Amino acid sequence: MPGRVSDPGETSIVPVSPKPLEPVNVPIRHGLTPPISRVAISWSNGNSLRVSFFRQPSSTSNTEEVGGKVVEVKLSDGDGEIDDAKWRRIAYGSATPFALLQNRKNLSQLPMASSQHHRFEWWEHVMEFSRGINSLLGDPLASVDSIIEDPRMVVEKVEKPTNLKAAWELMEIFYADKRSQAWLPERLVDWLTVIDYDILLSGSCETVHSKLLDFQTDLDNIQVVEDSPKYWEVISSALAVGWLEIVVKLLHLHGSYQLDQLGNRETENGLVEAIAVLISKMPRLRPEMLAGKLGECCQTKPDFAKAWERWRAQLTKLDCSAYWVQCDHRQTREGLRHMLQIMLGNANSLNDATCHWIELYVSHLLYIRPFTAGLESMNSLAQKCIDMKPISSPHKLMGLLTGILSESTEVVLGECSRAFGPWMVCHAIELLSAGSNQAEVLLHEEPYNLGGISIEVLQRLAYAQVLSSHELTWQIAPIYLASCMKQGMGLLEILLYKQPVQHKQLLLKNIEICRLYELDSISSNIMKVAGVHHWKHGRKGPGVFWLQQACDEVRLNRISQHLFDFVGKSISDESFKQWDRLIELLGSETRIAGGLEFLHKYRDFKRSLQHVIDAKTPDAARQAVESLILLMKNPSTPQRFWLPLLHDSLKLLNWEERPLLNVSQTTLLLNKLQELSMARLRPDFVESDLPPQALSAVRLALAMNLGRAILEE
Amino acid sequence: MTVTEPVKIYKLPQSKYIDNVRWLPPLSAFDCLYALAVFDSDTNTPSLEIHSITKPNPQKPELHSTWLSPSRISSLRVSNSLIAAATYGGSLHFLVPDSAEGLVESGRENELHTGGIASVDLMEGECVSVGEDGRVNVVRVRDGLELTGVFDSHGLAAYSAVKWASPTEFVTGGYGFGLQWWDQRKPGGPVFKFKANWVHGANSGIVHSVDIHPSRKHTCLAGGSAGTIFAWDLRWPQQHIFLSGVGMNESTTHSPCESEVWEIQYDVYMQSSNIKASSAWILPVMSCSEDGILAVVEQGEEPIELLAEPCAINGFDIDKQNPSDVICSLEWESVAILTRP
Amino acid sequence: MEKSLATLDEGTICSSWNYCGQRLATGSRDGTLAIFDPSNPGSSSSSSSFSRTSKNKVSETSIIKVVWIPPECGDAVACISSDGILSLWEETAEDGQPPQWKLCKRFESRSSNILDAQFAISGSNLKMAAAFSDGHVKIFELFDSLELMNWQLQAELQNVIDSVSKFGNASCVSASISWSQQRGEGQHLSFAVGFNSNVPALNSSKVWEFDPAHQRWLPVAELALAEDEGDHVYGVAWAPNIGRPYEIISVATHKGISIWHLGSAPDLDGRLSVEKAALLNGLEGEVWQMEWDISGMTLATAGGDGTIRLWQSNLNGVWHQQAAFEPTP
Repeated sequence: MPGRVSDPGETSIVPVSPKPLEPVNVPIRHGLTPPISRVAISWSNGNSLRVSFFRQPSSTSNTEEVGGKVVEVKLSDGDGEIDDAKWRRIAYGSATPFALLQNRKNLSQLPMASSQHHRFEWWEHVMEFSRGINSLLGDPLASVDSIIEDPRMVVEKVEKPTNLKAAWELMEIFYADKRSQAWLPERLVDWLTVIDYDILLSGSCETVHSKLLDFQTDLDNIQVVEDSPKYWEVISSALAVGWLEIVVKLLHLHGSYQLDQLGNRETENGLVEAIAVLISKMPRLRPEMLAGKLGECCQTKPDFAKAWERWRAQLTKLDCSAYWVQCDHRQTREGLRHMLQIMLGNANSLNDATCHWIELYVSHLLYIRPFTAGLESMNSLAQKCIDMKPISSPHKLMGLLTGILSESTEVVLGECSRAFGPWMVCHAIELLSAGSNQAEVLLHEEPYNLGGISIEVLQRLAYAQVLSSHELTWQIAPIYLASCMKQGMGLLEILLYKQPVQHKQLLLKNIEICRLYELDSISSNIMKVAGVHHWKHGRKGPGVFWLQQACDEVRLNRISQHLFDFVGKSISDESFKQWDRLIELLGSETRIAGGLEFLHKYRDFKRSLQHVIDAKTPDAARQAVESLILLMKNPSTPQRFWLPLLHDSLKLLNWEERPLLNVSQTTLLLNKLQELSMARLRPDFVESDLPPQALSAVRLALAMNLGRAILEE
Repeated sequence: MTVTEPVKIYKLPQSKYIDNVRWLPPLSAFDCLYALAVFDSDTNTPSLEIHSITKPNPQKPELHSTWLSPSRISSLRVSNSLIAAATYGGSLHFLVPDSAEGLVESGRENELHTGGIASVDLMEGECVSVGEDGRVNVVRVRDGLELTGVFDSHGLAAYSAVKWASPTEFVTGGYGFGLQWWDQRKPGGPVFKFKANWVHGANSGIVHSVDIHPSRKHTCLAGGSAGTIFAWDLRWPQQHIFLSGVGMNESTTHSPCESEVWEIQYDVYMQSSNIKASSAWILPVMSCSEDGILAVVEQGEEPIELLAEPCAINGFDIDKQNPSDVICSLEWESVAILTRP
Repeated sequence: MEKSLATLDEGTICSSWNYCGQRLATGSRDGTLAIFDPSNPGSSSSSSSFSRTSKNKVSETSIIKVVWIPPECGDAVACISSDGILSLWEETAEDGQPPQWKLCKRFESRSSNILDAQFAISGSNLKMAAAFSDGHVKIFELFDSLELMNWQLQAELQNVIDSVSKFGNASCVSASISWSQQRGEGQHLSFAVGFNSNVPALNSSKVWEFDPAHQRWLPVAELALAEDEGDHVYGVAWAPNIGRPYEIISVATHKGISIWHLGSAPDLDGRLSVEKAALLNGLEGEVWQMEWDISGMTLATAGGDGTIRLWQSNLNGVWHQQAAFEPTP
């Protein structure tokens, strides 16, 4: 039932690591001598939690003691099956197939795309994605049967496959690969044989595989195999789970094949060979046989039914054959006939030959109910097998398999999350939603209680948080966040904001992410933070650069004012050169620089003023006046600089020889002065730090200049 | 230019972040060496590793030697058999690969820059270093180390790339696509300055890498933000020649990427299409970028893409002994070796 | 699973990480502010080890709280000491000199102590909300975006819904402020504040929103049921919102932690709808701290029993405890 997904704490799929699914108590070691007086917590990037422990200071000891510890707890630690570096490689590798699939999904949702056409092809895209992911999880494994030519090497010790790969392949078989729908039982048999996942189960209990391995070690000490009861036991078990190649190989170890014995054990050998031939002719309902595999392939049900009848008839015929009486070797006779019983589907024989319920299940699918189709009947058979061979500690793969067979999306999600973590859930959802409509509805529903967030989005966010808790994988997180437009972009903005800005390369990489996802406001915010950081840490060049990139006019204007104050104070100072260079650095382009344009002009004005003082020529003075008028007319000249400018220019206004300013110029300056006195009444007016009589001095000089100018005109 | 045979690409996953990569001159006739500046995020250790490969099949590299660095390596250069490794911690280390003892540190400067060294270059035993702190230093590696502070802008300028042009001259690159030409015989500041005149305010960028061709010392090559690659000819210091970039006139050029160009080098392997090229003609340039492209760009030609990755290509090096071979470092903790036909 | 990041000096009693988790500021009983930076420069590693890079005596009395200001305004922390003074310290460097921590500004009041202060960026302005022991909340605004010296008092308010009633002789033990982490344009600046005082009406957490049209702060919601109104509030925490149609605020009182949903559309009186979505049980003792993760979906709490707990809601909106971390030596 949608909505009621699960009991909290049981198969909960809310976003957190697989570990603390139940309210579990996890100890955190801090290594301090108690008592701890207080703790403080803080979320670090992604889902790591940082905890500060503060120790109660001991009043007795005088020695310097450790006052506290800060530790980091990663909530997404793996289960140890796959190490961190391997996990990162999987994370890197799965980003591209995931992004490609999302792209295709978006394309197929465009109105112009013919839906029928795309629906037909969709599972193939999902399969391509699935194969891409699968290839990351490990190399294709050698199958159980030996490829080494040593006839006595029955089973190879292969590198242990991972549960993760096994689980992914299960999901692929049942949800993504539409071709396998018609022959699911065979796919499941393949899963257990070809892919060799029986090994994974071996850890917890005895399996056919572990029996085989045991026998392999014993084999060196056995002279006459057919005398050993274990030989026949192992053969039966291997036959029951359908490892036909191993069975035939084992049969060929039978003593009757030896040249010196062939003569007097003719019948016996004939019977062994007959069984071997029957095994290799077992009909299988599947599109094709894998290379090196025994059995006869039947692609359609009627063909299979016919072949099955024929094969069964041959088995029965052999079972009733008179040759058995002539076989002197008791163990061989009994062993072979037991094998016949297995092939004939004798439930007791199958039960005896198998260990784990999944092995029993596979044997039933092979020999008793080869026509089983549909998940419902597969599930009821599985339940029957579980009842017959109950296991004490459930294996995580089996939890997943039963979930799949019972067609419960909730359980499958829960198992994926609990056993394999956020990476698995996030990617397996793609298979699930391709596999069933019911799952798709459940995954895309947006319950209000969770803030209108769907399970699919929730899991992507959870995985993105895991990615962002590591400095090297955090850059992949945007790919997943971008696939959930609404909440994903919100989280991405926060994530980007929380990245450090000190390192140029990282900063540029983050800005590049902003560019890709059109997050301009975050981008300029990041640049602003970088600019302020550099500026305040004595790197004024990069500081100004980033503030310009961020178009931060407010701060650039403040910087211009700082510069102004400096320029205004010490024109002849040696360090003026430094500031001069900074002004140079800021550039003369005014689009962003704001008040910097003014600063340029002001610097020019100051220089010409200096020139006037040095040279005292009327030409230089007139030039300085031109600069002054330009500055005062310019709207970018901040009001607070008007008075200092005029005050600086007193020498010009009081030029002895003749008035340097004409009537209109003087009027302009007087108007500015008037405007200034009005502005003083406003609360936000900033008083310049000039002597108190500065204003009156300027006013007087202007009035006198006006008088002289009128006379002159 | 046509490439007939495909380029062979070998990927070597590292499980460590690659900060820098350089080819090394071989110690013996048979092996082929490269140096990786790596950062192991699991153990939080930065180090310099030397790997050796056998040529026809570079897939099985062997770790030759390792040197633990005090902090992550920001810039790595090799000249003859001397390695200069600069760190984000501001220290500069000189190392010599030794077939018996691995990597031997022959000298170090601990606090050349505040806040990390951005770039170094090594030529005939002289190492020039620049940083975001605005300092330019030259360290002479002879019997001991001899430090010559060249310039300190006190943070008013910041440099991010440097390259020797001659034993006395070098070029630096920095913010605002600026380039500076320095001559040690004329101290006190750069001799020539180039300031990008095609950018305004928010569209500006940073030069990440500069290169100078040994036969054409008057031409500086620079690569940086927004896919920009341009050349600056000292004979016309107010001009520049655009090779690629978003900011340029789109109808005339082809930009292999739009993101940061992290490294550029003259590609001596590629024959210039213009045989009777004048000295003003820019030779082919290899570049790698944040959007995962390794390409060769030539003036007026379509760029040739050698590698397109889903992650950033942070740096590369062309083998001087064997210019058909290129090694590059990928963001996703791996190295790619390319062998061109 | 845990990894040691830093070792703290004796007497340290509070700590705070900066915006990107690359710097740690700690305060101690003797009034010392210490800053920790990654031991390995250049490493952006979020999990590298940290070592102390500076140490300054910032107060005569014990520091009770350290708060980083937003990075847009530089590297600076506000230290609140037990004598109720807030001092702003900033790291700056001049002309190639090594960076130094300097005092920028002291906030003190003769009649009352500062109990908590939090910062928010609005446009290009930095704002500070400070809660005082007389039950007042003051909003200060930074004058110059490049200097942390000049602040202006923008508003002063008392934490009551009904603006008529005034409480002259309130005495508060602690207070907690949390700004909404709004990022979008057009959203009004707002914060939640709750007190632990002897005046019941002041205690309950209220949400205050800035009304730009009239340039004033208005109480828009009260986060308490009628029967809980006078409860002492230990802490409030506004969850980040990455796309929910409502806001989530957690409030800690002696009854436990309650999770509140705050609607976005005001009613005719300008009030926002509130709904108590959950009361988190299983806590023992006082709640010291509540921290929301970046998605606003997991709440981490630390409390008097020393245990750190994680809380989440399942798909049915039922809140439950996900994990408990118990400190062990």
